[in-house]
Amino acid sequence: MRISRSAAALVLAALCLTSGRVRAQNPDSVGSAYLRGQDLETRDQYDSAAVAYRQALAQTPNSLPAMLGLERVYAQLGRSDSLLPILDSAIARAPRLTALRAAQLRTYRSLGDHAGMQRAFDQWRHDAPHDPAPYQEYARMLIEDGYTAQADTVLQLAQAEAGSGRGFSYEVAQLDAAMGKWEPSARAWREAVSDNPYLADAAVFALFPTPAGTRDAVRRALAAPPVSTPPLKVLGALELAWGAPREGWTALHVLRPDSATVAAWLDFAHRAEQANAWLVARDALVAADQADPTPAYLVRAANDAFAGGDAAGAASLAARAETDLDSAEAATTALPIHLRALAALGKPADGARLLDAYRNVMSADEQAQNARLLAWGWVRVGDLDHARQALASGGGGDDAAAGWIALYQGDLAGARRRLQGQSNPATDVLAVLALLDRTRAAKSEALGNAYLTLARGDTAAAAADFASVAPSLPDAGSLLIATSARLYTAHGDGPQAIAAWKTIVDSLPQSPEAPEADLEWARILRRSKQGPAAIERLEHLILTYPQSALVPQARRELELARQSVPSTS
Amino acid sequence: MSSLRTLKCLAVLALALLPNAARAQHLLVPMDDGQANHLKAYGLTYNALKDGARGEWLLNYRGGSFLLPDTPELRRRAALDGITTQPIDDATLSDIRNQMSQANMESVPLEKAPRIAVYTAPYSPPWDDAVILALRYAGIPYTPIWDEEIEHGDLAKYDWVHLFHEDFTGQLGKFYIAYSGASWFVDMQRTNAAMAKKLGFPNIPALKKDVAMKIRDYVNNGGFLFAMCGATETLDLALAGHDVDIASVFADGTPMDPNADAKMDWNASLAFRDAHLEQSPYVNSMSDIDGHQANVPGRRQPLGTFTLFAFSAKFDPVPSMLVQDHRTVIPDFYGVTTSFMKNRLKPGVTVLADEPGAPWVKYIHGDYGKGSWTFLGGHDPEDPQHAIGNPPTDLSLHPNSPGYRLILNNVLFPAAKKKPLKT
Repeated sequence: MRISRSAAALVLAALCLTSGRVRAQNPDSVGSAYLRGQDLETRDQYDSAAVAYRQALAQTPNSLPAMLGLERVYAQLGRSDSLLPILDSAIARAPRLTALRAAQLRTYRSLGDHAGMQRAFDQWRHDAPHDPAPYQEYARMLIEDGYTAQADTVLQLAQAEAGSGRGFSYEVAQLDAAMGKWEPSARAWREAVSDNPYLADAAVFALFPTPAGTRDAVRRALAAPPVSTPPLKVLGALELAWGAPREGWTALHVLRPDSATVAAWLDFAHRAEQANAWLVARDALVAADQADPTPAYLVRAANDAFAGGDAAGAASLAARAETDLDSAEAATTALPIHLRALAALGKPADGARLLDAYRNVMSADEQAQNARLLAWGWVRVGDLDHARQALASGGGGDDAAAGWIALYQGDLAGARRRLQGQSNPATDVLAVLALLDRTRAAKSEALGNAYLTLARGDTAAAAADFASVAPSLPDAGSLLIATSARLYTAHGDGPQAIAAWKTIVDSLPQSPEAPEADLEWARILRRSKQGPAAIERLEHLILTYPQSALVPQARRELELARQSVPSTS
Repeated sequence: MSSLRTLKCLAVLALALLPNAARAQHLLVPMDDGQANHLKAYGLTYNALKDGARGEWLLNYRGGSFLLPDTPELRRRAALDGITTQPIDDATLSDIRNQMSQANMESVPLEKAPRIAVYTAPYSPPWDDAVILALRYAGIPYTPIWDEEIEHGDLAKYDWVHLFHEDFTGQLGKFYIAYSGASWFVDMQRTNAAMAKKLGFPNIPALKKDVAMKIRDYVNNGGFLFAMCGATETLDLALAGHDVDIASVFADGTPMDPNADAKMDWNASLAFRDAHLEQSPYVNSMSDIDGHQANVPGRRQPLGTFTLFAFSAKFDPVPSMLVQDHRTVIPDFYGVTTSFMKNRLKPGVTVLADEPGAPWVKYIHGDYGKGSWTFLGGHDPEDPQHAIGNPPTDLSLHPNSPGYRLILNNVLFPAAKKKPLKT
């Protein structure tokens, strides 16, 4: 079994510190000098720490913790060369101790003494015939330093000595990846992770740079029969990293369900969630639940389904979880996502019935929180009276929700008063407050309707509504048009967004939103490959608003539009 | 009639009342720490010349500033690119000239934007060449050329030619040692072999040697050559080894001539002499010209800093132009060829920058025939450890790079009047 160099050092150090039978490595026998060295080292007193570690080694010459401590502090002091004679003596006493040999190689490496490394490697091979460690340690250092050809030579030597490549698959995999030999690297990684599943992350990291044209070969190598969990786990993570989460799950879901498979599926779900691949994560969690029924998987799957836009799936999964959980736990875990899903589906009445069913097992806080979710459901269907009732049933007193409802009803003064009182307002509240601060109007049903339309999820209609409100609230006109443009952009409607931004640039050039209008207009143009038009807008921004805080961003966009710097996107 | 006279008087009065900035005749582009974007400033100057304006390079004045006419278009370009400029009037300029006359400073007229060619293979990504990165970022136009254009005599169309990490020994940078199976190397080998065949050469080394000869002829005829990285060393090896087999068996099917060292004709080279060729096909080095040997385990030397020499601007304007910078000590950076051993330099080579105490130099210049050449070791001034596969350098993150300034000094250098242009 291969373990990393640092892990090996730590394990050996731990063994040294815990083994009562190995007297020479018992911290009691190492004595106070070692402990003093450790204390001084943690206080960055490296000179004194070095003296203490030397004393510890004088008392107990084979003390590996003291030797490693000395290696660390000498490195800090830039005196690594002083360690070499001490290591030589220690190695003479224990020629087969891998940790000492590795420390010797590391020391030569840190000194940039490649010839010394080669000598140390040759001596180690000589002193420990048939031991793969010297080849593995030396090859790994050479790969890390970019000496791929020399690492290749070392590994060929190792394989000739061992009679097979078995045992060197990790190093070969790393080397092949460093040399751009992706398919052989994938084959070697398959072998390496099969023997040592903990190398999966290293495999993903090494194979991630595989060019698109070669990825199929890597896929074939990792998924080749006989199918086993570790290589497919690597493939799943790679697909996620390559931006193909569905393919990752397709590769993984063929595994026979057992405990290792469930662990791999859960790991994949976690990675997929981190990559915002919500629906793929949902599928992995549902599969894990089928193999190992666990309501927590279903609750997580429901949340992922909702995040991925599958409100119906979220409601269904949450309902399944509720049947497997006791009422109190269901109210805490499954009920909130169930209510959120029903609200999104426009089924607040179902939500109200559900809430009633759990009312007796909920705390006051849970009731208030769930009542807010239900209120949003009513808002989404435009029933503000029921929304207010839902809030009241949860104990009322939620200024944010009440503020939003006031806003939807066009009561701008009421909304302003309630939302301004928030101690830690959310970003959407801040956006509304920014708009309410720009107008002195106390009422505007049209603006309330625009926000209500947005809350119902009709982005395109809301965008049109905000634009149409602008003339009636001229003091906030440019911000309303900018809001409209942002919504059109979010909706993927570039032409409408451009029309809105153009209105600001042409008609409201002195407004605070004018530089943003130029910048966002240019960004839409650049995304649609209209480079010269984008350049025109960006130049307009820079020259017209030279003091704008957006000028640095505009210059950056200008470089990209001119293709005068490499694109990172 | 009297109303016309009144109008004229008013116009004169209005002009007299205009603020200084509005009636300035000159635009000073400072190049010291007051400059917000040094690299773009070169592009501003180059394009002003390209559009027919004349300028001046104020050597050693505020980091090697540029003086351009104050026109709305130049102000506009400077504003767009975030280049610091200062409108100045004749009186201020007179003060500046007075100050320059009493110090190690000199004004060099800039008259004509040089026509630029960059030698680059069709398979090279544009972001793999520091000069292309600099030219594109500064907005300086260039024409990519390769072996076919050179063999067809196109070099005569250009005032300034740049070479990067091309291996003129024809061994493709000895990449076969580590990358023989990599698709990009296979493509590189196939493309070069096809070009050699197309142009009637038996192999890649034969083609590259001939290209090297034509580049030398270009310099001899008055061209300006700027080379970086591996092109510096291998160009001279190809020239000196024109009649010697200096390529390994992987490149031309025959091993290198074991007596190649003795057969090299160093009279034919531009910068180097008496180098020992690397005989082993498995050692990623061409010769002992490079001091750092970045790709050879056991020989690789650590990076330090290099120091630009100070020249007399009045008596040595050419090297002065090449070292204009707002920093004199610059962090070193690796390349296939990083530096040049002092004991391998020909007599008469001008050292522009070295690493104090080290046996190598970084930046050299010399004349050959009617033209001149400049060699700068290393690959990318802002990516010191550059390795294959590294992401490209984004110069918008390094607008004040002192290392990249050296490259752009070379671009403007042929525009200077004191150095007669080939054309």
